[in-house]
Amino acid sequence: MSRLEAKKPSLCKSEPLTTERVRTTLSVLKRIVTSCYGPSGRLKQLHNGFGGYVCTTSQSSALLSHLLVTHPILKILTTSVQNHVSSFSDCGLFTAILCCNLIENVQRLGLTPTTVIRLNKHLLSLCISYLKSETCGCRIPVDFSSTQTLLCLVRSILTSKPACMLTRKETEHVSALILRAFLLTIPENAEGHIILGKSLIVPLKDQRVIDSTVLPGILIEMSEVQLMRLLPIKKSAALKVALFCTTLSGDISDTGEGTVVVSYGVSLENAVLDQLLNLGRQLVSDHVDLVLCQKVIHPSLKQFLNMHRVTAIDRIGVTLMEPLTKMTGTQPIGSLGSISPNSYGSVKDVCTAKFGSKHFFHLIPNEATICSLLLCSRNDTTWDELKLTCQTALHVLQLTLKEPWALLGGGCTETHLAAYIRHKTHNDPESILKDDECTQTELQLIAEAFCSALESVVGSLEHDGGEILTDMKYGHLWSVQADSPCVANWQDLLSQCGCGLYNSQEELSWSFLRSTHHPFVPQTCLPHEAVGSASNLTLDCLTAKLSGLQVAVETANLILDLSYVIEDKN
Amino acid sequence: MLSSMAAAGSVKAALQVAEVLEAIVSCCVGPEGRQVLCTKPTGEVLLSRNGGRLLEALHLQHPIARVIVDCVSSHLKKTGDGAKTFIIFLCHLLRGLHAITDREKDPLMCENIQTHGRHWKNCCQWKFISQALVTFQTQILDGIMDQYLSRHFLSIFSSAKERTLCRSSLELLLEAYFCGRVGRNNHKFISQLMCDYFFKCMTCKSGIDVFELVDDYFVELNVGVTGLPVSDSRVIAGLVLQKDFSVYCPADGDIRMVIVTETIQPLFSTSGSEFILNSEAQFQTSQFWIMEKTKAIMKHLRSQNVKLLLSSVKQPDLVIYYAGVNGISVVECLSSEEVSLIRRIIDLSPFVPPQAFSQCEISNTALVKFCKPLILRSKRYVHLGLIGTCTFIPHCVVLCGPVQGLIEQHEDALHGAFKMLRQLFKDLDLNYVTQTSDQNGTSSLFIYKNSGESYQAPDTGKGSIQMPYQDTVVENKDELEKTQTYLKVHSNLVISDVELETYIPYSTPTDTFQTDETLKCLSLERNRLTDDYEPLLKNNSTAYSTRGNNRIDISYENLQVTDITGKGSMLPVSCKLQNMGTSQSYLSSSMPAGCVLPVGGNFEILLHYYLLNYAKKCHQSEETMVSMIIANALLGIPRALYKSKTGKYSFPHIYIRTVHALQTNQPLVSSQTGLESVTGKYQLLTSVLQCLTKILTIDLVITVKRHPQKVHNQDSEDEL
Repeated sequence: MSRLEAKKPSLCKSEPLTTERVRTTLSVLKRIVTSCYGPSGRLKQLHNGFGGYVCTTSQSSALLSHLLVTHPILKILTTSVQNHVSSFSDCGLFTAILCCNLIENVQRLGLTPTTVIRLNKHLLSLCISYLKSETCGCRIPVDFSSTQTLLCLVRSILTSKPACMLTRKETEHVSALILRAFLLTIPENAEGHIILGKSLIVPLKDQRVIDSTVLPGILIEMSEVQLMRLLPIKKSAALKVALFCTTLSGDISDTGEGTVVVSYGVSLENAVLDQLLNLGRQLVSDHVDLVLCQKVIHPSLKQFLNMHRVTAIDRIGVTLMEPLTKMTGTQPIGSLGSISPNSYGSVKDVCTAKFGSKHFFHLIPNEATICSLLLCSRNDTTWDELKLTCQTALHVLQLTLKEPWALLGGGCTETHLAAYIRHKTHNDPESILKDDECTQTELQLIAEAFCSALESVVGSLEHDGGEILTDMKYGHLWSVQADSPCVANWQDLLSQCGCGLYNSQEELSWSFLRSTHHPFVPQTCLPHEAVGSASNLTLDCLTAKLSGLQVAVETANLILDLSYVIEDKN
Repeated sequence: MLSSMAAAGSVKAALQVAEVLEAIVSCCVGPEGRQVLCTKPTGEVLLSRNGGRLLEALHLQHPIARVIVDCVSSHLKKTGDGAKTFIIFLCHLLRGLHAITDREKDPLMCENIQTHGRHWKNCCQWKFISQALVTFQTQILDGIMDQYLSRHFLSIFSSAKERTLCRSSLELLLEAYFCGRVGRNNHKFISQLMCDYFFKCMTCKSGIDVFELVDDYFVELNVGVTGLPVSDSRVIAGLVLQKDFSVYCPADGDIRMVIVTETIQPLFSTSGSEFILNSEAQFQTSQFWIMEKTKAIMKHLRSQNVKLLLSSVKQPDLVIYYAGVNGISVVECLSSEEVSLIRRIIDLSPFVPPQAFSQCEISNTALVKFCKPLILRSKRYVHLGLIGTCTFIPHCVVLCGPVQGLIEQHEDALHGAFKMLRQLFKDLDLNYVTQTSDQNGTSSLFIYKNSGESYQAPDTGKGSIQMPYQDTVVENKDELEKTQTYLKVHSNLVISDVELETYIPYSTPTDTFQTDETLKCLSLERNRLTDDYEPLLKNNSTAYSTRGNNRIDISYENLQVTDITGKGSMLPVSCKLQNMGTSQSYLSSSMPAGCVLPVGGNFEILLHYYLLNYAKKCHQSEETMVSMIIANALLGIPRALYKSKTGKYSFPHIYIRTVHALQTNQPLVSSQTGLESVTGKYQLLTSVLQCLTKILTIDLVITVKRHPQKVHNQDSEDEL
């Protein structure tokens, strides 16, 4: 009988956003995320007082998963950022900062939530339709026939994660590796529906980053002794592979719900072993060269197979099963007898390899869509960060393959977008308001809050006391170092905009980002030659940023709409 | 141990509780409502505007609050809507009742009540009121709905007979519904999504059974995906199972599937049996037999073109392997709900592996359009293109949102919308009592009330002479004249034409309006009189109004009164021919499916208006009192809806406009474009009245300080 307990009454609070406690916690969270943002972002060290390992990071996914958030409003914010990151990997900090900024800016205005939410939604759809339109001045097409743009994209991701502690040379090396690993997962002769392969990241700690490498196929780690025991396979043709998903240890399988009575003197173990050896005989007669088993192989069977020059490897684990199935083209075998000949697969070759102190059994595929990225780093913390970064970069490349566009990075997209919205709301407010009940003044107020929220996101790229400027032609971002002498001649102080597309030699006029400025029309439609010539651009993933923008505004709207918080105290 | 409450105090206490609840729900009621964030004990957060959810999340301890919450949740279970309105209405009712008790400082008291004040004072007991409430709900409310309100009803169907539904009217209905249930920036999108889903699932023959199916299996028919913007939500054809394939073999063309509920591989022993192993060889042979048998079954399935195996249990490795070898995709561990949904859609019984193996055809297979993995945000699902045999075309809703809490809110709202539609598509039976004694000429028509009274004098004077008394229903002036001629024809009528004609111009503006309007409204509504009425109708008909089309029928009543009656004895209509002395009669009628009214408190204001009129004609003080209280409390709902509006759209303006339109017989103009279900509103009203009755009948609350114990069921004892 279950024990019933009286439930404690819940705690009900009205107008949660107005309380001082919520404001402080929100601003603390905002300070944490803004200080992490960008290439010069500060690192956070997260550690548990009770022990466990220390994490040094500036990435939203690692940061937010370690933070223990208790207030329900913050929980909404952090979970929505985490959910965004788990689907798009990138732009987590951007989403979090933008959301915090929006909430803060709008609260200051004191308009009714209805108006705010309605107008925020209009502004969001304005942004989205602009970023998706042909005339958009801050996105460039990604050309898959050359590696240039793709490398820029990967490099931008690597440089924005300072906790990886990469030097310039290492960054170049790892970017190239990531791109290679990604390209290896694309099937060579794909028609119509493309199914991407997989890059497996293999940890190799205590090695220099520069030693990292990419290999086609799968690496199975094993001890040196085990590896020595494996017989060298010398064969010119492809090797025949059998992959077992069932146990070959001689366990007696499920016997049903009733009872099984074994008479005295009958040894089931022997019976099962006989069965296993029969299986071994079948494998040998089918000319199988390599037997892989997810679980344990009985030593006698192993020995039997070795005697017949068949390599047997067991305890592969469930994670490698899917890539192995894909790579070798086998059907995982779940039977101890009568194996269909179709179930066997093949590999081109196998070899043993040694990287650092680790020994691997290397399966080389006939046709590679599976590859292994051996990732080296000197310590655990940076390796974790590097691994996360590599995964992000690989995911971003996949997203870019689906939607072959990239946004200009380095904050230029945000400032450009803000300039565009200012211009739009100033010159054409009717088209935004349409049949709504909101007034133009309300629109101006909210648009200003929205734009300054976008601009303070990029404002937080600067951590060293420098100034951020924007030009009045393209609406791009330019940053000046902290100790620059005077403001007279910007052209000499500035060299390149944030994304690297424009340089200061053009006749441009600049103004401080934080100062109020007149709306201007940012130049739309990027000239093609401009994109082609620039080889060292900072780029962002379009898909991830679009979603981040939407999630940030939707979450901010959600939080602004709250009138009560009911906390269950059970 | 015991804490008692005075009987009169219970209304006060209930009012206090209801006012607290009202404060919470009123912040999220209507199109301007806001969100409430609830945390679960597990730490998850839920966003909600669903009144029922909020009330449950509060974990209220106050006994009266718990009674209220119970009533709300049982109401929601049935209708899926109206929890917030429930609380607001209940609160206003309690306020009205409370105001009556301290009458000294009561400004709300109206003249009618004062007239009957003395009587009321004597029987001012809660029990009495609750009885009056029950009487009102069971005998009067339906009549008012049927006779007055029904003329304002619109139908959601573009053709009433075939019940065809056009998209635009469904959109109006759903948009209004979602306005109160989901966030302001999403209600349009969600209502479009629901509309899409609705029209994609329905065939032209689909009826209410589709709503029932969707309502019952809503959890299985939607998939939540976090981390994507809400606008990525969509409707996809086919069924999505929330698990991955155990084996997936791409297949196209003629795909057949089977459902199994047990393992296909034969086992050594079944439950209750014993398997004796005498030798190792025997064991090996059995193993071999099992293997061969499994292989043969899978091969046989393959030969029958079965390419998909759905299993409610986990299948052994062997089965999975042979399925893969034979190109059969396998999905394991389906929940019982998923299995029953699939079986309901395609009408398929589970496949049982044949004991004695033969090459016969397997009958329990179904054709599938496609069967493929579906990847939603890097999670894999099984996507099945079932070919439905019932009127439901299988479709699934993919709900996206930045956080799970928001997805749950949308899921909840969609589910509620289906519940609401399910109710809307049903006819609603109305049963009520009309009274035609001398004391309460309140029955159906006010116009003849005075003439009825004019009978009274001679009636009582003459003692035992039976007097036929007419309540007539006519559609227009022409027929009114006809009625008058009928009246003339009847020899024993005391009343003359002149009297009748003079009465009409003399009546108050409201009354004249009622004359025309009530007549029209009654003819508009299809009233089904029971068969027993027929002879009565034919014999005594004074006015029999029909219209050309068969949609409109008669609404007619004719009751014979004698002066000795009036005790209030109630007898079924069927006996009336024999017992000429009855003064009350049961009428049953029905409100056709699909009745809607424009949103924005129209239902409440209309009912308020007619109730006040009714109360004016009422002679019994309790009835008057109850009608007045309900009528006034009803206004609380539109007042809450228009709370934030100013100027032309403020509540007083809307109210005055509506009442003026009613009095001058002009069509009602609504400031908002949505529609709402009348059935839902009606059910809400009755639920609240039942809840109030429940509260009023409690006179003592006993606190028991002991852990709650599970109530043992009598039946379960028997089972043991």
